[in-house]
Amino acid sequence: MSKTNKLDFESKIISQIKADEIKMKPKWYFILGSLLLFTSLVGLSMGVVFLVNLSAFLIRRNGSFNAWKLQSILSVFPWWIPVIAVGGIFLSIWLLKKYDLSYKKNFKLIIAVLVIAMLMGGFLLDRLGLNEYLSRGRMRRYYQQFEMQNINNYPTGGRGQNNKQVNNR
Amino acid sequence: MSELSKFTDEEVVELTRTKDKESYAEIIRRYQDKLMRYALYILRDEDKAADVVQESFVKAYINLNGFNTKRKFSSWIYRIVHNQAINLIEKHKKELPMLGNIDFDSGVDIEKEYSKGEIVKMVKQCLSKMPIMYKEPLSLHFLEGRSYNEISDILRMPIGTVGTRINRAKVLMKKICQKQTN
Repeated sequence: MSKTNKLDFESKIISQIKADEIKMKPKWYFILGSLLLFTSLVGLSMGVVFLVNLSAFLIRRNGSFNAWKLQSILSVFPWWIPVIAVGGIFLSIWLLKKYDLSYKKNFKLIIAVLVIAMLMGGFLLDRLGLNEYLSRGRMRRYYQQFEMQNINNYPTGGRGQNNKQVNNR
Repeated sequence: MSELSKFTDEEVVELTRTKDKESYAEIIRRYQDKLMRYALYILRDEDKAADVVQESFVKAYINLNGFNTKRKFSSWIYRIVHNQAINLIEKHKKELPMLGNIDFDSGVDIEKEYSKGEIVKMVKQCLSKMPIMYKEPLSLHFLEGRSYNEISDILRMPIGTVGTRINRAKVLMKKICQKQTN
């Protein structure tokens, strides 16, 4: 590299700094960034846990996986819930990678722990009766919608048809 | 300004952030040659390297408040240069492939086989023919004297991977240099 270029770095950049052409981003910008990253990760994890819990609840409500029932369950199950949950898991992993020191740790292990924790958290919440509590409380309407959707979408010979027949009578 | 030379990089950064913006000149003086050399190893083009280093100094200044003074400034600024250089390569796609599928012999005795001085000479001759994934850790370690820990911070990879890459790079370099001499 030539001598002129060397001098250029210093003089060019310092003159830009003096003229306020380049400015340092304020400290709060970075603090806010870290906070957003952290809250997004926590919020996303909580969302995933809730969706896993909801999936577990809906599977439970549909009954056990008998072979003859499997087809009905597959056709009425609101698949968007676990799909969003899986999407959330991938997004959480991506956010986790944004953390400065993630490369220093065993990242595969961190991901495994995160995913297992989310799944276990979801199933645990379902077992603890969160859905029963929510379906009786503020979120009753949403839960009713899920259940009605399940009943109305049930294939011929299923629980839904019987209900409709009962209603028609 | 002469007093600044006694300060550590991190202290100069703190001074630049809080009291005297122009202290940043000291950082530029300290790193311009090192960063220029590093950018040249990656880009093999003096003008592009100069552009990358200048952009890196500007970017570092803009984001100076995001630097954690508990960590090493050198790793941070090298990381910025690395990112800028890789962005430029991806833009132009003229560089050697980033991931080379090359078979390696076991490099266990390579360390004993070459002294550091010999490796430095060899690195300079053969480096330009190596894929970036090996070129970077090798040049940082042998030519820039960076530790495995620092390279791990610069390239954002586990220390074990740095060691593996350097060992493989030495084997690869031996092959390249042997071809060159033949």
